This record gives sequence, C-alpha cells and structure tokens, in this order.
Amino acid sequence: MHCIETINLTHNFSASEAALKCVNLQVRESTIYGFLGPNGAGKTTTLKLILGLLKKQHGEIFVFGKPFEKHRVETLRHIGSMIESPSIYGQLTAFENLRILQKVYRCPKQRIQEVLELVGLAQTNRKKASQFSLGMKQRLSIAMTLLHNPSLLILDEPTNGLDPNGILEIRELLQSLNQQHGITILISSHLLPEIEKLVTHVGIINRGNLLFQGTLPELISKRQQNSFMIFETNDAARASHIIGEFGLIPRIEAGNIATPILEKEVVAAINQKLVQHDIEVYQISRVESDLEKIFFDVISE
Amino acid sequence: MNFINSFQSEWLKKKRSLASWLVVAGAAFTPSIILMSRIKNAGKLSALYASNDFWLKLWNQTWESMAVFLLPFGIILAAGLIAQIEYKNNTWKQLHTTPQGFATIFFAKFLVLLIMLVEVFVLFNVGMYLSAVIPSMLFANLPYPTAPIPYAYFLKANINFFLDCLPILALQYLLSLQFKNFLVPIGTGFAIWFLGVGMLSWNYSYLLPYLHGTIDFLISSGQFGNRKIPPLNLQLLAVIYFVLFTVASYILYVTKKEKG
Repeated sequence: MHCIETINLTHNFSASEAALKCVNLQVRESTIYGFLGPNGAGKTTTLKLILGLLKKQHGEIFVFGKPFEKHRVETLRHIGSMIESPSIYGQLTAFENLRILQKVYRCPKQRIQEVLELVGLAQTNRKKASQFSLGMKQRLSIAMTLLHNPSLLILDEPTNGLDPNGILEIRELLQSLNQQHGITILISSHLLPEIEKLVTHVGIINRGNLLFQGTLPELISKRQQNSFMIFETNDAARASHIIGEFGLIPRIEAGNIATPILEKEVVAAINQKLVQHDIEVYQISRVESDLEKIFFDVISE
Repeated sequence: MNFINSFQSEWLKKKRSLASWLVVAGAAFTPSIILMSRIKNAGKLSALYASNDFWLKLWNQTWESMAVFLLPFGIILAAGLIAQIEYKNNTWKQLHTTPQGFATIFFAKFLVLLIMLVEVFVLFNVGMYLSAVIPSMLFANLPYPTAPIPYAYFLKANINFFLDCLPILALQYLLSLQFKNFLVPIGTGFAIWFLGVGMLSWNYSYLLPYLHGTIDFLISSGQFGNRKIPPLNLQLLAVIYFVLFTVASYILYVTKKEKG
C-alpha cells in the first residue's frame, strides 16, 4: 500500500511558470523515500502540497489511502513534519515548545521527556530555544515531529546546517525509527551522498518533473548501465576499427575509445590484437559512474 | 475539548513574549502616573479625598488617556505581536500541519487576544483602585475615601468600553494575519486612529470604529461639547463592526493560498 500517492500533481506560482508538472509520487508504507533534486526543483512545493500548506490546484493527493483534503485533520494526526528551517518559538525552552504541541496532540506529558532524551536535548533545562545552535534547533524540530508517535515523517532537508557527526546521528535515528517502529519516512535533500546510506527508495525531481522513481537498487543498476571502459592508444581511429571487429560499437571520446564494460578475457584479447597491429596501448581503464553522477545525469536528461 | 486544548496551546505561546508584557504595562501605565502624582502632591489632596464624587473624578482622570489612545494603541500593538509570534519564529507552517481545523486555530488565537483584553480591563481597574487607596495608606491627611464606590456605573462603563474596543481588535487581527510585515498592521491601525481623531468634530465620526471609545468617554464625562450626539447606540454599532470584521478576517484567513 502507498502511504503517500500523488496523481498528476501540478502547481503554478505564476501563469508562465509551472513549479510542478504532473508529479506522480508513490511512497510505499514502511520505506524511507529520498526525494532528491537541486534547489528550486519542486521538492518543498510538493511536500507543502502534501501537507496542505499550499492550496492544491490540479491533481490528487492521497495519504494513507485517503484524499488528503477531505481527511486533513484526521490525516495530520498521524504525520510528523518539518518543512525547511526549524519552526520553534525562540522565547520558550525546548520543553515548553513541546508542551505546546503536546496540548494539541493530547499525548501523555511524559512523552516530552522521552523525545527530548531521544534527540539529546534533555539537559537544556531553562535555556531558551533562541539560544540554541542550529544543530540543536534541528534536533528540537525532529523531537517535535516525533512527539505524537506518527506513522509518517515528512522531513524537508532535515540535516541542513548539521555537522558530519550531527548528520550521522540523525541518520541513525531515522533508520532506527523506520526499522524498529515501521515509520514511513519521506525525506528531501539536494545532496544524494547525504541520504544514499539511509533511503530504500528514491525519487528525483528537477524543474517540476519527477525524472526517476524507484528503489535504490534500481538506481544503482543505472550506475552499472552508465559505467564504461576507456582504451587510450596512439591511434584512436584504427584502434576503434579493430575493437569493432569484436562485435562492439566503440565511440571516440576526447581521443580515447569508450566501450561498454567488458569481461577480463575480452579486454586481454583486444589488447593483444591492438599490439599485433602496432598500435601503442597506454592505458585501459574502467570508469564507473557514482550515484552523484547518475543524479546529475538524470536531472540533465 | 479540541478547542480548549488549542486555546491552551495558543496561550502558552505568548509566555515571555512582548505581547504578554504589553498587557501589564498598558494596564499599569495611567494608574502608576496618577499614583506618583498623588504621592507627590499628597499635601494638597485632602479636599479631593473627602469629596462625594471622589470615585467619579478618579474614573474620569484614569479613563481619559485609556479610552482615547492607550487602549486603541495597545490593541493595535497586541494584535500585531500575537501574529508576529508565528511570523518571527517561522512557525505558521508548523501550526498548520497540526491536526486542528483552520477555524479552531483562528478562533483559539482570537480568543487569546480577547482574554488579554479582559486582563487589561481587570488589571486597569485594580490599578485605578490602588492609585486611590495607596496614598491613603501612606499619608495621614488622606483618609480612605468616604464616598461609596459606584460599582454599577463602573461595571456598565467597563462593559461599554470593552465593546467599543472589539472592532479595533477584530480589524487589527485581520490585518495582522494577512501581512507578514509588522509595520503594515501597526501603521494602518495608527493611520486609522489619527484620521479618526482628526475627524472627531465631523457629525458622522461615530461611524469610524476606532473612535467609539473616545466618543463614549467624551459623552459620559460631559466633554462632548456641542457636537451632535450619535443617533445610534455606539456599542451596538461596535458589535456589528466586530462581527463583520471577524467574518471577513476568517474568510481571508481560510482562503489564503499559502499557509506557511
């Protein structure tokens, strides 16, 4: 079952510019879905529409299988969200910030201490939130999303401003929430390396178009498709002709010959044949696309 | 139950905020000045403390500044500050993703403002009483006033002033919810008030909602002069404005395209 599903979600901020174009987002239950895209791609707009912070123009939004607009209050009861920068009352302490939400969600008061301990803010006592570091504010925001034991977390760039250690802590926390409590997590980021170790599914958006959606292994298989071999020789044209005799379709890139990934034996045979034809072979190498390159390939397609 | 929880949540937000300090400062301002003046001039006040209309004189003295400008200014500032708690902290989006209906959020916040206004009235009346009795405790020549406190008159006048304030509260709430820039609701509120004061001698000045308190005070204290007495009940007119502004404010709030 899909925890979140959007059908042809389209949004315009002005008549000339479409912020989202027919986005069909599908977030399965109990998964961690990484929603990727460069700044201004449409990530926050999508998340704001899902949470009802923006008025829907075209398309459908289903959360927990129900139309969001008709079941807004009931649906929000089971969602914890953090959109863009932390939303906290600076003149209040961490405890008081959580107390405000505890009143609304009507959850047990001891839950406040539990989430404060979970995010490592239990010792902040009377310190006002405005005096917190950005990392502490982010952690308080995460505590606020967890207070009412939600079954779905929607986090927009939650690691912004965190140091590497903070990022690691948040990643571990989210992983444990997903694995131990089955919480579905939709997390947006503009940095693939930051969330590739966390997510099970990925959606890539750019200029309002959802360009890729699938599991992380599917994205990784795209990496293998995008890997190739390079032959560096003194005569690319002749070498290309000889390699073509192996049933391959080589292409010449920057004076070198590029082929798909080959078996070791085939590489050795090609090398032998090139040498036999008096072609000097300087280097044979394997070029693998990393996920970041695939991300840029996808968004530039 | 939902609404009570939402109200409690809204009430907590104003803790340590400027809005909460404004209530105390606004209510204490005039009584404090009167008290200081009486302490300074204690030797000349024996006749006043013995007079039969001691309380009415005190009432007019304290309410003059309150009804004319302190209350309107205080409401303009308080409504702006309450909305700014959300704008300044970037929390509208957090608030609008909690499981509360938009009506609940709107009216819970509005009720906070109304209760703050009640607080001002209560504190102001207490302050007024203290400004009269503290000099009696401090100076032997100023016995506790023998004139009876006209409770019924005070209660009715308090209710009238409270009703007079409601249109200002509703319109300022509307403006504060619509504009992120604090200066817009504050500037607009002050501009309307100054415009009203400039038009006080106009026969139809009672139609300006920000002037109801002023006109009410001038009539009740006998300072309205030769101006034409409003043909309508000011409090009824204030309640009509209040309802209209509240409905308009709610519609504008609910139909806002972006809520965070």
